[in-house]
Amino acid sequence: MEERDVILSVRNLDVNFGSRRKPFRAVKNVSFDIYKGETFGLVGESGSGKTTIGRAILRIHPVSGGEILYKGERISGKISRELDRKVVSEIQMIFQDPMSSLNERAKVDYIVAEGTYNTKKHLSKRERALLVDQALLDVGLLPEFASRFPHEFSGGQRQRIGVARSLIMEPEFIVADEPISALDVSIRAQVLNLLSKLQKERGLTYLFIAHDLSVMRFISDRIAVISRGQLVELAPSEELFRAPLHPYTKALLSVVPQPDPESERGKKILVYDPSVHDYDEDPPVWEEVVPGHFVLGNQREMEGYRMEANR
Amino acid sequence: MQKQILSVKDLDVKFNLRGRTLHAIRSLSVDVYRGETLAIVGESGSGKTVLNKNFIGLLDANGFIDGGEILYYGDHEVRDLAKFKGEKDWLGFRGREISMILQDPMTSLNPLKTIGSQIAEAVRVHQKLVGDDLKVAVHELLHEVGIENPEKRARQYPHEFSGGMRQRVVIAIAIACQPKILICDEPTTALDVTIQAQILNLLKELKKKLMLTIIFITHDLGVVANVADRVAVMYAGDIVEIGTAEEVFYDPRHPYTWALLSSLPQLGIKGEELYSIKGTPPNLFAPIVGDAFAPRNPQALEIDFLKEPPYFEVSPTHKAKTWLLDPRAPKVEPPEYIKNIRGMGRR
Repeated sequence: MEERDVILSVRNLDVNFGSRRKPFRAVKNVSFDIYKGETFGLVGESGSGKTTIGRAILRIHPVSGGEILYKGERISGKISRELDRKVVSEIQMIFQDPMSSLNERAKVDYIVAEGTYNTKKHLSKRERALLVDQALLDVGLLPEFASRFPHEFSGGQRQRIGVARSLIMEPEFIVADEPISALDVSIRAQVLNLLSKLQKERGLTYLFIAHDLSVMRFISDRIAVISRGQLVELAPSEELFRAPLHPYTKALLSVVPQPDPESERGKKILVYDPSVHDYDEDPPVWEEVVPGHFVLGNQREMEGYRMEANR
Repeated sequence: MQKQILSVKDLDVKFNLRGRTLHAIRSLSVDVYRGETLAIVGESGSGKTVLNKNFIGLLDANGFIDGGEILYYGDHEVRDLAKFKGEKDWLGFRGREISMILQDPMTSLNPLKTIGSQIAEAVRVHQKLVGDDLKVAVHELLHEVGIENPEKRARQYPHEFSGGMRQRVVIAIAIACQPKILICDEPTTALDVTIQAQILNLLKELKKKLMLTIIFITHDLGVVANVADRVAVMYAGDIVEIGTAEEVFYDPRHPYTWALLSSLPQLGIKGEELYSIKGTPPNLFAPIVGDAFAPRNPQALEIDFLKEPPYFEVSPTHKAKTWLLDPRAPKVEPPEYIKNIRGMGRR
């Protein structure tokens, strides 16, 4: 594999909630690198901690251990003002539900421009309006829409407004948290096309969070699978679908719905049972079994994984 | 030949909205057979939910049936649901003959009442059970939908249940009065894929055990492939194609069905643009001339804009409303990528 620039690097990340005496460990010792220009998929069930990781990167949740590096600089914990400003504009987020993520009482021009009021204070009214127009055009909406309210738009259009709002900040890295889960089939395709078009034009990097592996295969270059706050497997998309190693990944793959009645009827659902691991005596480690393919397991399991991966 | 349990004939449903009339269901006909699972697919706004609300008398107050009939073949008599007037007619029918589960298990339960009392309500009203008999019936229902430790769980509140478990509770309420037909309106859309698979399996089990007929509304074609015996594709208030699951997935005939299948990300090729349907669904306030999908169909024929196509039969179980099936029509091939649907689940 050729050398690529790492844009974001998560190192031994821990995120805890609740009191210090009795913390709830939402994210446990998670490490991964995201390369510039790629789409990195993060898949897991609800409650697995995937959104928490996204939010930790955006500095919404404080990290309890480990660190997050953006372009080689630490952005977790206490950071300088200049860096904070840079991170705020360069790392943006797209939310899941376009119905609830837009301010109902604000017009589209304010919603889209909101970020610039903090980061680009020198702009005149006119300059700001031009920026909004351009952002709307970039996502395939008309500049006229700027004076309307969110309720006047359909789900797909609202999601585009959500994208425009992050684009105006000229981001390099976008955390997309289930951006298409709440949308209709036909509109999903439109939003996915838009995201990939923007990626090509601007060299954006995406962290794409979802629970549906079938969509992930199409959009992600690499996929990480998370379960109960821990990464269990990380591999290039095709490799993950061809040779899943961890039992949890296998279980997830077995339930992916396919639009094929024959195979759906004969399908065997695998259930992941965490008690198959004997981690009490032999704790698991995060290891690269073949280049680019990481998996969580202890020494005994690792041998099996290695054999499976090389088959 | 299978026996019908529900037969909709030329049904028209309209809504009064600020002095204008919206034609939500346009002269729709469909038969539902005893013991089958019929999936209804379509975009939001295509009328899937409105259609089904007619079957249980829950149409919004500004909506009304404007012609057509909905025949329900009960054990003893045939009844026309379109002629039902008011709650009185519906009370003995809803829940007992036809029952419905809704999309969001977070909002369809009362947060202030225990799970047990919410299930008991349905059992008490319809089966006239009281005291310990009622309790036992509730526990049996909970057990039936796969909730362990029913005695304890019945005393808990909805917030103590996860999404999947709440959906099980909703299902328990829906089957409390042994209905013949269960309408499932996007029952798994709000759930995780793993939980979704469990709920789908539960529904299949219950269908077998209770000899249910299921009408399954969804926009997720993966789910449809999993549960459906037959599939009806809805567009702009009408069914444009209907057939067995195999026929609709492997040999679709209507351009709208092609478009729906083509836009699936599962069929996409990485690095290439996904197919997406251009334009927006038609305005149902205005009368629709010709084929409702024609304006969004790049291969539409001239006649599509002039005259509404009738159903053309592809096989005794498969028909589609498109002029492409007319013997005089030019030959239009379905898009390339939807030809490989068969067997894709194994790749």
